[in-house]
Amino acid sequence: MIKFNSIKLFLTLGLITMFSASCEQYFEPTTTIDETTALANESDVQTVTIGTYSMLLHANYTTSGHYMMEYPSDEIAQGQISSNDLTRLYRYTHINTSTHATNFWSQAYKVIAAANKVIAFVPDNASAELKQLKGENLFLRAMVHFNLVRMFGRPYPQNSGANPGVPILKEGMSDADVLTLSRSSVKEVYDFVISDLLSAAALMGSTKTNIYASKEVAYALLSKIYLFKEDNENALKYANLVIDSKRYSLLSSSDYPSYFKMATESNKETIFAVRHTNVQIAGIGTMYISSDQAGNPLGQGVSGWAELYASKKYIDFIAKYPEDLRKSFVTPYNISGVLQFNQKLTPATPMYYINKFTLQENVINASSPVYLRLADIYLIRAEANAKLGKQEAAITDVNLIRARAGLSGTALHTAASITAQGKTLLETVLDERYVELAFEGHRIYDLFRNNMPMVRNYPGTHAQNNTPTTDIRQTVLPTDPRVVYYIPQAEINQNSKLTQNP
Amino acid sequence: MKNKFSKILYRLVTSGVAVMSLLPSALNAAPDNGTTNRISQRINAAEFTVKGTVTSAEKEALPGVTIVVKGTSQGTTSDANGNFSLSISTPGSTLIFSFIGYATREVVVDGAKTLDIVLESDVKGLDEVVVVGYSAKKLRYLSSSVSTINNEKLRDVTSNELPNLLQGKAPGVVVSSGSGDPTKAASIVIRGAGTISAGTSPLYVVDGNIDGTYNPVDVESITVLKDVAATGLYGSRAANGVIIVNTKMGKAGKTEISVNNTLGFAEASSGKFKLMNSQQLYDYQSSFYPRDPSALSTNTNWWNEAFRTAFVNNHNISASGGTDKTTYYISANYYKEQGTVVENDKTGYNFRANMKSHLTSKLTASVLFNGQYTKDNYQNSNTLYDAYVNLPFDPAYDANGAPVDGRYYPKWLGRDRENFLQSLQYNYANGKSLRTSLDVNLDYDLTKNITLSSYNRANFSNGSTVTYYDRRTKQGGANGGELYNGNTNANRLLTSNRIRYSEDFGKHSLTVLGVAEAETSYNYYATVSGKGLPAGHDVMSVATNVLTSPTAYSEQVAFRKFLGQADYSYDNRYFLVGSFVNEFSSLFGKNNSSANFYQLGASWVLSNENFLKNNKTLTFAKIRLSHGIVGNATIPNFASLGLYSISQSASYAGLPGASPFQKGNPDLTWEKIKSSNIGADISLWNRADLSIDVYNKTSDDLLYQKPLTATTGYSYVWVNAGSVRNRGVEFNLTTRNFTGGDFTWETNLNMAFNRNKILELSNGAATFAPGNRLPLAAGHDMGEYNLPIWAGVNPENGDPQWEKLVTDANGVITKELTNVYSSVQTAQSRQFTGKSATPKFTGGFSNTFSYKGFTVSAFFNFVYGSWVYNDSRFYFDNDGLYESYNAMVLAKGWSRWEKPGDVATHPKPIVGGNKDSNQSSSRYLEDGSYIRLRNVRVGYTIPARAVKKIGFSRANIFLSADNLWTGTKFSGTDPEVSFAREGEFALGLSSIKYPISRKFLLGVNFTL
Repeated sequence: MIKFNSIKLFLTLGLITMFSASCEQYFEPTTTIDETTALANESDVQTVTIGTYSMLLHANYTTSGHYMMEYPSDEIAQGQISSNDLTRLYRYTHINTSTHATNFWSQAYKVIAAANKVIAFVPDNASAELKQLKGENLFLRAMVHFNLVRMFGRPYPQNSGANPGVPILKEGMSDADVLTLSRSSVKEVYDFVISDLLSAAALMGSTKTNIYASKEVAYALLSKIYLFKEDNENALKYANLVIDSKRYSLLSSSDYPSYFKMATESNKETIFAVRHTNVQIAGIGTMYISSDQAGNPLGQGVSGWAELYASKKYIDFIAKYPEDLRKSFVTPYNISGVLQFNQKLTPATPMYYINKFTLQENVINASSPVYLRLADIYLIRAEANAKLGKQEAAITDVNLIRARAGLSGTALHTAASITAQGKTLLETVLDERYVELAFEGHRIYDLFRNNMPMVRNYPGTHAQNNTPTTDIRQTVLPTDPRVVYYIPQAEINQNSKLTQNP
Repeated sequence: MKNKFSKILYRLVTSGVAVMSLLPSALNAAPDNGTTNRISQRINAAEFTVKGTVTSAEKEALPGVTIVVKGTSQGTTSDANGNFSLSISTPGSTLIFSFIGYATREVVVDGAKTLDIVLESDVKGLDEVVVVGYSAKKLRYLSSSVSTINNEKLRDVTSNELPNLLQGKAPGVVVSSGSGDPTKAASIVIRGAGTISAGTSPLYVVDGNIDGTYNPVDVESITVLKDVAATGLYGSRAANGVIIVNTKMGKAGKTEISVNNTLGFAEASSGKFKLMNSQQLYDYQSSFYPRDPSALSTNTNWWNEAFRTAFVNNHNISASGGTDKTTYYISANYYKEQGTVVENDKTGYNFRANMKSHLTSKLTASVLFNGQYTKDNYQNSNTLYDAYVNLPFDPAYDANGAPVDGRYYPKWLGRDRENFLQSLQYNYANGKSLRTSLDVNLDYDLTKNITLSSYNRANFSNGSTVTYYDRRTKQGGANGGELYNGNTNANRLLTSNRIRYSEDFGKHSLTVLGVAEAETSYNYYATVSGKGLPAGHDVMSVATNVLTSPTAYSEQVAFRKFLGQADYSYDNRYFLVGSFVNEFSSLFGKNNSSANFYQLGASWVLSNENFLKNNKTLTFAKIRLSHGIVGNATIPNFASLGLYSISQSASYAGLPGASPFQKGNPDLTWEKIKSSNIGADISLWNRADLSIDVYNKTSDDLLYQKPLTATTGYSYVWVNAGSVRNRGVEFNLTTRNFTGGDFTWETNLNMAFNRNKILELSNGAATFAPGNRLPLAAGHDMGEYNLPIWAGVNPENGDPQWEKLVTDANGVITKELTNVYSSVQTAQSRQFTGKSATPKFTGGFSNTFSYKGFTVSAFFNFVYGSWVYNDSRFYFDNDGLYESYNAMVLAKGWSRWEKPGDVATHPKPIVGGNKDSNQSSSRYLEDGSYIRLRNVRVGYTIPARAVKKIGFSRANIFLSADNLWTGTKFSGTDPEVSFAREGEFALGLSSIKYPISRKFLLGVNFTL
């Protein structure tokens, strides 16, 4: 009996041990893959490059970035104080723990780090297909650095770019190095960005659709960056390369009002836009408009918060020419023909909804924010020409944009009409940028890089604490410390090499 | 003393479980004071009948007592008068007397024909048998620190969630609930948090196996294992303590059918907190905002619109009984608790069937089944948020009594243009789950000394969530209606196979245990959402388009464990226990997927030594020591791997992509917790039981999800980040102040003091997560706040002020006052406050009085020295930042600056805010200490004679009130916040709080 029991016992124990040990299994994740297999072969480069683009879709980049570039402008009026940090962006009351600045900074460097993986992986002598993809990643790295340096570093003309910019994150840096990066100067960042874009343009041979980078996209950004650093010759050169490539054309006047509703890829004027599908809602539009699916305006809180409007300044400016098609990008909130006001302030703010960020393919709040478009390049060329004293060329480009917007006859500029209005040629170009590119994140840079103040003289929360409150002015000089954002304190806390902006 | 010779008491020293009196009427012998109850008598018949009566110590006849001849199926039960009669064929047979609520007794009958048996009610306390790990032992002989809470003590408070029932009942078991929402369970932290990013929740062991389902009504007892000598057998998962849950098993005897009903109502307890009414808000705002006086024509109390008197129902029916071969317990429960916030409730249906059968003389099988169906209705449409912030100027209802739609009400003044009452007509959010647990357990006595056991469990659960925002509401308006569906499917298989050898060698006894355990679990989760739904239609097929792309993932985790334990004792005086565990988990990286843990424990029962034996004062004394290492495995799967995401968030324009997701750390290894405990258990005069424990718990290689600077390209990396220590003292004192007579009074006081300190951080770092409210810094408590320091209001101009630290040329740091927030929100100016989110001590205090059939009990729990960050004040106490939100009425002692020279607590209100005065600073840090009358209960047991007339054997009724009173300085609705670093509610944070409810309940229980 004892013996029999012993056999049973050992048999049981043996089986149990074997069975238990067989449960030592590992499982693979289902929504992620190991980094060692993610970028191991040439065939992975395409997938990982798509991944780099996908990181631009994050609200931390798209939405926070838009707020930071657009809200401090005089195109916008905030009608009521919001619990969101965006109020500070609008009012120039930034703090070093700003939600949006922190969001943007962190996502921006993630995009750069993702691009660096491909840049490091693909050799310069790779196949044309791989070189194209490497070039796209170089473009993305350059674009994000450029956006960072103009948000966190002072305008290039101030101190000739010697002011602190942002850290430059190159490929192949060690863990220790990336943890202790310090801020390069504005000039160093510009030089790095230009060098990346030149390499990118040389590597890219395909003409992909406008939701991907390609040679002309790099040229377009180069023309802009040269303009920002006051290298007008090069700005002109690269603007010409874009325009003369004939890859892009201005939308016709009849198509123009639906610029932001059509599918991005079929828009011949867009040079580069971050494509959001209709289920990837960026949420920029929700602050600007509340409407039904036909675009008819509705009260606050129906399809959007609708707390930020086109400023009275912008409306008055554009009202000079009733036929100007660009009015169609503003939807006044009328009830029975009566314009509504946001009554939270005194004086109350008129509710001019901005519709550039909604109704892509008729989906409410769907939008693929446009980063570069041909009208912008024409006006860059015009500005460069103006600065180089090529008056006729500048006026021609400005009029091209005005004509497309439905203006004709005396509404078009001549040298004489500009003088008659008491404007300089540069001011005329900038005025055109103000009207044409409104709400697309250009205005504050157009003013501050040209050493001009931003003047607000319209109802909005910027005048909230003025005495008396009927004084609705706010003037921000290009030398104001708050023309740039604070470096996120969370980053400084982890990297003592980062210095704070004054 | 008339029956001096006919009533003989035998105290059974060996077991100490029960006191029995028996009357061997044929024998007038002197009492036998030996250690045996064997009664010798001449054998004079081959078969004879034993008769007798079974009574309680109170001399009441006990009907339905099961009487079985040991080792046979022969038996009977006592009749209504407690009488029994049984034929016995073999002299020297043993009779087993068992009855629910009474100690089971075995009596050897050598020939006595009449036995009058007195059964004493189950004496708990030190002789209670508690289940620790893989074995059961008397509390008296344990070498580890445990707390036990029986069913009766557990279920005074009314809740369907165990943590809520445990609050304040065991020292060192700190329960905190972040919400009064009945669909949210409280969290438990045992002996302080010893981890940063890994879980802090204890491990639950139900009916002998890890995890599993149970409902509190079916719980027989809870045992909380706190030190490593006991928890260690759970190896990698024992770091946060173990809660052993045992469900009820039937007892042989008459079938008992019990019916328990509790009915009552609940109200939100909002403390001293008050929101402004129209007039108050108008007066306050008039100093900084030109509000049209017409606003005063409306005065809506949004709080009252959002909260209600809620109903609570709990109905339970159970049947138990069986024969000496097979016993069973079956129960069904219906629980419904409405939340105090409208549209919020929890409904639970619970079924349990526990069966145990001796299949052969050697083989015992238990089959346990539990099924739970739960339906939760969540508060939705921002009801709670709006209750706090909506303006009293805005109307809730129109002239016809219909809820106003804020979007279309032109004069709506509140920021969010949201009337939740309009939304709640159509919107809902709910979760439904069905969870089942099936156990098949076998015990086989291979030899007299060796038992083989196989414990096996299968858990299956399915859950679904639905959120529906109708197109007519603000939430669903933008997209023409929104519908979100989520589905989860989880199953888990576990087998635990054990061999136990146990033998006595004279005064030595030895038990050796070997366990091999394997577990695998599978989880699946999927979501889908649609938009464009016709009004009132809430299924996905009617949606005209997708809202966001569908998602799903599946995940598997495996554990494997081998353990060995040896348990030695000598003469019930000296005890030693040692164990070793090797555990594998797929959660960890391939290089470090298994780990070893060991534990040692020793105890010495002084009162069994000759020098203390029969000591009348010190009736029991024991010293315990334990030391060992356990682990923490509560981390996300794949934490050590460098990963790229391939989910749709990595796609672009419809093309699949892969983007960097997680930085890898191939060196990531287990977090290990080294723990030591010294404890003593003392009983004085058999009336006062005191347990004291002192412990030191050091966690090394802390698992930490370390935030990374953005230039790394990642948000975080999992690292082993240093070590943290928890040390503390806890005690539990139970005194039976009056016993014996009609009046009894029992008092319990338990308290626990825990101190936490981060000893070191990896790479010599001074701080992790600097700039966080709760950073982690070497030398500091993990819960210590680090904030810009609020320096009050400048009396000259009403500006907010903070302390700015400035270093001069000589390196001397001085404090300045500043009104520029950004200048203090810096690494230099943020300061440690010396105030922690975790309490200095916690505890509970209860008194139970009974007189005849009446029982009155009162139970307080208390928390001292914890600080709460009252984040909600950002919204409604912000010096004018939002004129479009309601404001709180200033708490006692607070004041607003109005004119130069005012010494005030609150800055001058300015619309748009006064210089970021509501930004994160020590301004909103408040003392979160509180004492709460958690429960008061008055019960009455109807006399047996009265209930028997109507066919019941027992009946009682009670009135009970939960959370009747709270004493605190906290200015918000409720000072109770989460003390756990993980989970839905953040440590120490009070934000848009769902306050706990005050409940009033009536209970009626009877047994057939």
